This record gives sequence, structure tokens and C-alpha cells, in this order.
Amino acid sequence: MVSDSPSAAVPAISIENLRFQYGEKQVIHDVTLDIPSREITAFIGPSGCGKSTLLRCFNRINDRIPGARVTGGSIRVAGIDIARPDLDLQTLRRRVGMVFQKWNPFPKSIFDNVAYGLRIHGEKDRSALEERVEYCLRRVALWDDVKDRLKSSAFGLSGGQQQRLCIARTIATRPDIILMDEPCSALDPLSTLKIEELLLELKNDYTIVIVTHNLAQASRCSDKTAFFFLGKLIEHGPTTKIFTKPDQQQTESYVSGAFG
Amino acid sequence: MPDSPTPTSVPADHPFRRKGRSTDGLFRAFFAGNAGLTIVILVLIIVFLVREGAGFFPDYRKELVLYRKAGLEFVDLSRKDLTAHEQMSSLLNRAYYAQVNAACRTEFQRSQEVSAVISYVSDAVAPAQSALERVQERAGEEGVPKELQDSLSAKYKELLAAALAGKPGEGLPPTPHLSSEERRQLLSELEARDPLSSDDPPLVVALQEQLSAKQEQASAPLADFRAAIDAFADASLDLDTLVAETGDTVKATKEAATLHEIEIEKRATLLKAAASAKTEEAKAQFETEARESVTTEPVEFKTALQPVLDRTPDFKAANAALAAALAEVQRKLPASLEDPKAGRYLSAFRKAAGEYERELSDTVPAMAAWKHDAPVGLGSTIMGFITGRDWITGGEWQDFYGIVPLFTGSLLIAVIALSLAIPLGVGAAIYTNQLAGPGEQKFIKPTIEFLQAIPSVVLGFLGIAVLGTILQETSMKDAFSWVPGFPIQQRLNMFTAGCLLGLMAIPTIFSLSEDALNNVPSAFAEASDALGASKLQTIFRVVLPAAISGILAAVLLGLGRVIGETMVVLLVAGNRIEIPDFTEGLGVFFQPAHTLTGIIAQELGEVPFGSVHYRALFVVGMILFAIVLSINWTAQRLLHKFRIGHD
Repeated sequence: MVSDSPSAAVPAISIENLRFQYGEKQVIHDVTLDIPSREITAFIGPSGCGKSTLLRCFNRINDRIPGARVTGGSIRVAGIDIARPDLDLQTLRRRVGMVFQKWNPFPKSIFDNVAYGLRIHGEKDRSALEERVEYCLRRVALWDDVKDRLKSSAFGLSGGQQQRLCIARTIATRPDIILMDEPCSALDPLSTLKIEELLLELKNDYTIVIVTHNLAQASRCSDKTAFFFLGKLIEHGPTTKIFTKPDQQQTESYVSGAFG
Repeated sequence: MPDSPTPTSVPADHPFRRKGRSTDGLFRAFFAGNAGLTIVILVLIIVFLVREGAGFFPDYRKELVLYRKAGLEFVDLSRKDLTAHEQMSSLLNRAYYAQVNAACRTEFQRSQEVSAVISYVSDAVAPAQSALERVQERAGEEGVPKELQDSLSAKYKELLAAALAGKPGEGLPPTPHLSSEERRQLLSELEARDPLSSDDPPLVVALQEQLSAKQEQASAPLADFRAAIDAFADASLDLDTLVAETGDTVKATKEAATLHEIEIEKRATLLKAAASAKTEEAKAQFETEARESVTTEPVEFKTALQPVLDRTPDFKAANAALAAALAEVQRKLPASLEDPKAGRYLSAFRKAAGEYERELSDTVPAMAAWKHDAPVGLGSTIMGFITGRDWITGGEWQDFYGIVPLFTGSLLIAVIALSLAIPLGVGAAIYTNQLAGPGEQKFIKPTIEFLQAIPSVVLGFLGIAVLGTILQETSMKDAFSWVPGFPIQQRLNMFTAGCLLGLMAIPTIFSLSEDALNNVPSAFAEASDALGASKLQTIFRVVLPAAISGILAAVLLGLGRVIGETMVVLLVAGNRIEIPDFTEGLGVFFQPAHTLTGIIAQELGEVPFGSVHYRALFVVGMILFAIVLSINWTAQRLLHKFRIGHD
């Protein structure tokens, strides 16, 4: 756990005038946004509006993509500009966990999947690992289903279970922030419901940013909502306000289902 | 369906009506024919292999029966002891000379260094010197014209001075074991040498004297050891004579039996021809020839063998003499030798002594139990082929077809090749796929795959001309004397062959490993990155384990390539049909060997069609086929498992 526990007053992530390009194509235009701690912030908007790209900037996982680069502005996580060249990327990613759209457990056992993050950060003590794995699996409500087959392959689980396993894997390294990139888009409604319940339970300890196409999901789970359109942040604010009486015409059209 | 029934054909003027005949069937038949023909050819190849090879075991069995009946096997019981005895005395001799040479090592090196300098200088002045010699020879009584003599002498001096100054930048060959005074002396002696004298400079003579004195001095304390070795070696003389004498007898029996059989066969052929002859005349002719064709009596094996069996007491006595000599020499051996190499030979002797003693004591009971008419089973023939330690062909005595030496050669070479190709191939694949930039990828991949385009005979040529020579020269250097097996005795050996085969396997292993790594979904690496893993952690903990079965398949296919490769091993492996001497430890890899593939390539062109030897080579081919087939099959299974692993 982090020693200087961030208070609600200080934003977990603050974005200033961020511009981002894939090659020559500008996909994010001057976005400025603060993401508050210990809350769920939902990014909504039609496909290709840059919301996933923005999310993937927060842990610099976009570095993996050749030609993708920030061309202006800054992102601060825990008060530090993450573009600085002397930043320890591994520690950043440890504190800013990520859950992907398509569940992607490793081709390893269930136990090894959850323990992976701990092991790469140097944890060798078997009992500490076991304790943490059990805690994480309980946290995602998977423990009772898998406690008898921790040694079997993670691929034997159902889609929803695999996604929850990925969440357990993410929280195992004790992040402050969890980024979720459409975590339920490939899941059936029942599994989606379970994940949503999990999100509400997790937000007491973690700052969660979720990208979703499912407007109902955003309105059900999130505290704050940000609406993006064509790479621009159109409007953001408390979820109830965005969904009931938004300031912008475009937001109103989108949340009412006129386009998108 | 609506009210009207389904018509049997589309009405002629309807747009759905098919126009003309379809050529689909034709194309189908063409492609099916191609696939079918390929499979038929494969089946024919297998049938051919099996048909040619299957006759081997009965034929070989017939040979072994004759080998036993004629008594060759009986003589071989003792001959085996003789061979073992020779090997044992050679071990002792090697220990002795290793000890003596180690003591004289410095003197030997000094002498060699001086020779190197002298030969360098002599080469340099050779043109002027030989010219001087020639004019001297032709000069006759009035002597050489003075100006010619002077000009040649001047030329000689000039060359000599240049030679003594040394090569530009390098100087004369180094003499690290000579003192600077000795070196100076050597150079001045060389300078003062008369161009026409062929005497060695005094320093050389002195050094040679030093060397022989040192040799004498070193061997003096070993005199007892020397005497023991000689006594041990001489102990086999009786048995040697005995084996030679009885060997001649049984060989004559075997030859007579073979000749008789050939004649019988000829008669049968003639009689068959007579039976189908067209005219009475021809028939009579054939029958006469058939009657005359058998000129020899059938061999009475028992009688022929009796004189050999009668000498059994002599064999026993000779055997006892060997055992006594062994006991004697063991008592007299020095407890240890100073030089580590000599010590190794000595302890190898001690280790082998027990085995040899058992072998000796087994011989007499084996001779007593031996029967010339005991049957040779087909099973023991097959076992003799699979576990046989000798592959001896074209000899006067008896041909043996044992696959073990060839198999061991192939296996050891494959081990060398893979231990070179796996790190290089897989390592390069990891680098290219995971760490290299796009520009490097574009360069590395085609370059490594280009290796595959080099014909194996060219690689073999490289192995003989370059690698073998460099390796041997390097192994002579003092700095590498700690490497097991150095200095290398044979320029062509398993290590050279293994290196080249490794080179040939690298592209296979590299390309397939690279594919396997490429097939690992990037989501795994992404998830690992997002958890804060470093690049290397991601590679070694996620990507590599996920690709491991594909990489294993790549290695297996590389192995298949190595085992099946012929040209390189034939050219480079040294082609000695013998089980390598494993007592040398890792040095075993620097011995020459023959391989399953090489033996076929080398011998198939020379054997008579249909002979036992010919069929034996086909069986070797079948075994090779089975090995490579099972390797490739396993690799395919692994690849398949790998592909469905992520669904």
C-alpha cells in the first residue's frame, strides 16, 4: 500500500492540454481533466473518439505501439508528470493497474496468474504469496469457485471468471489506480452484473477509470462521467448531471441515444 | 414447396439454366491426381526400402552360421583377448611417453622454436643459396667466376640481413623459451653460417643434445616401468602365433565351403536352364556342364575343425600366460605418475584392468562351451545388428554389421550440433522477435535464413579447408592445453562436423522459433507490461513459456535435419568406423567417427548389387528413415498442441 494515502481533495490523475498522435493522425485534442481519488470515473463516447487512447496514456502502455506519442500537454499521476524521462515506468505501471477489454490471463495456472505481479516485483516467500493470492481472489469473489483448482490452467474458467481473474491479478500488486478498458464488452449480462458489483465494492480502496460503450453501465456505476467526441473532451461532471441535464447539446444527443 | 412438384431439370430458357459443361470436375481430377501421385511415390519408396532391406537378416544369419561352423568364431574368442591386450599395452605406452615428454617439454619447445627461426631464415635466403650451390656444382676445375660468386654472395648477405631483421612489424618467430643471450647467439650463428654448408648451427646441436640428455634423464627413473611394459607386451607372442595359425586353418575351411556352395548354385542354375532348353543338343550341353560344375567335395566341418580344437590346451596355456602377465605388470606399476595426462592413462589402465581380467577368465569356459553346430537364431542375428560394436566389411576374415559405432557417431555429432545451434538459433530468434527494432529485424531475418542457401558440400569444403585446420592449429597452442581433448590428433573429427551441422540447423531453429514467438498473442506481453514487468521479465516469464512447445518443435526439426544430413559428415567427420573412446571425457568429441548417413553414401556405390553388405546399408537407411520420421512426427505433434493452446 502507498504510504502517502491520497486524499479525495487531490486528484489521482490530472490531465492538462493533452494532445496525442498516432503517426500523423491527431487523436486527442487539448484535453484537460482531473480524475478524483476513490471514485469511479467513466469515459463515454462513440467509437474512435480517443477515450481508450487517453486511458492507455495513464500507464504509458501506448509506448508499446510504434508511432504513438504525446505531442503536447501533460499527465500527472500522484503529482508527478509521467512523461519525464527519468520516471521508473515499472513502478508507475505497478501503481496504475490495467484491465483489458478482452480478458488475457497468462497461459499459466490460476495461482501463478495472480502471483505473477508479486513475483516479478521480487516476492519469493511462498506463504506471503499464498495469502495475497487468496485475498485477491476473495476480493473478486472468485475464491470459492477456484480454491480447489488453483493449480489448473486459467483457460479452463468461463469468460466472466477469467475477467475477474484479470482484475485479481491487477489488484495483487496493490495499485492506487485501476484502468479498465471496456471490461464487460465481451461478457454476458450476468457476468457484467457481477463485475459491476465488484467495481462498486473496489472503489472504496481504488481510484477506477472505466471506458465503456454501455451508457447504462456508466450511469449505474460511475460517480463522474466524461464525454468525448472526435478526440475532444466535450463535457464532464457528476454522472447524474451528465445523464439528466447536460450543458452541451452533443452530450444530450449522445446520452439520449440520438447517435453513437 | 408450392403446389407444383419439383421439376427434374431447369427449363431450357430459364436464366438459372447452366450453360455449357463445367470444367470443375477436370480441375478437381488434376489436383487430386497430383496429391495421389505424391502419396503413391512415397509408398513405393517405403516398399522399396523394406523389400531391399528385409532380405538382410536371413542372409546375414547364413553368414553367421558359416562363421560358426567353420570355427572362425572359436578363434575370435581368443583374438578378442589379443586385441584387448594390445589396447592395454598401448595405454601403458601412452602413459610412459606422456610422462617422459612432459619432463622434456621445455627442451622440446626450445628446440622447436629454434627450428622455426632457422626454417624462416632458410626460406628467406633460399633463392641466393640454391643459386650459389648450382654454380658451385657446374664450376668444374677453374672455379666459379669471381664476379658471379661475389654478386651471389652479396645477394645472399642482403637476403640474410633482411631475414634476420624479421618480417616488418612482426620480427622473427618468437622464442619465449630461449634466453635473450641464446637468441642473440643463434642469430649471430646464422649470420656467420657458410651459405654452402648444410650443418646445423652449433646451438641447434647443443639443444638437441640437451633434449636427448633430458629424455634419457627422464626415462632413467622409469626404467623398471619400461621393462614391465615390454614384458607385458611380449606376453602375447604365443597367443599371437596360435591365433595366426589356427586362423589360417579355419579361413581355408570357410573358403572351401563358400566355393562349394557357389558350385552347387551354378549347377542348379544350369539344370534349370537345361530343363527349359529348346533343342536336345543344348539340353545335353547344359547337363554336361552341370555335371562338371561341381568339382569340390562338401566340407566336413567337424573333421576340418578338429586340428583347431586339438590345440585348445595351447589356447588355455596362452590365456593363462596373459593373465599372469597382467597380474605381474599390475604389481610393478608405479603408484602414480607426476604428469596429469600420464596419470590419466595409468588410471585408465587400472580401471580397464578389472574388465580385461574378467574377459580373460571368461575365455576358457567360453571355448569349452563352444559348439560348431549350435544354431544361430534370427533373433540373435537382429540383436547382433542392433547392438553390434563392429562394422567390418570387405575383409577376408568375416564381415560384421553392427550399427552401434555409426549410431554413436551420429548421436555425438548431433549433440555437438544442437548445443551450438540451440543457443544461437533460439537466442537470435528471441532477440529478433522481442528486442530488435524493425530495421534490425529486416536485416537479421533474411541474413540468417540465407545460411540455408549455402549448399552443404560447400560447407563441408569450408570445414575441411578452414575450420579443421584452424581448430587443430589453435589446439596446439599452450594457452589452450587445458581444454579436454586438446591438442587435437585428427584434423577431421566429430567436433568440426558438429559445428558445421549446427550452422546448418541454425536457420531452421531460428525461423521456426521466431514464428513460435511471433504466434504468442501480444495480449500476454501487454498484460505483463501493464503489471510493471521489465522487458526481460516479460520475455522469460510469459512469452518464452508460451512459445516453448513451438521452440521445442523447432529444435526437433533442426535435429531431424542434423541426423539426416550426409554431405558434411561424409566430408568432415573423419569417417573412422569405431566407437569413440569415452575414457577421454569431453575429449571424445574431438575424435573422428562415421555416421548412419555417411556410411550409406560412402559404401552403397561400391557394394555388389544384392549382397549382404548392400542389404545391410538398406537396413541402415530404414533405421535412419524411422528416426527422422519419428522426430518430425513428434515435432508436428508439438506444433499442433502449440497452435490449439490458445483457443
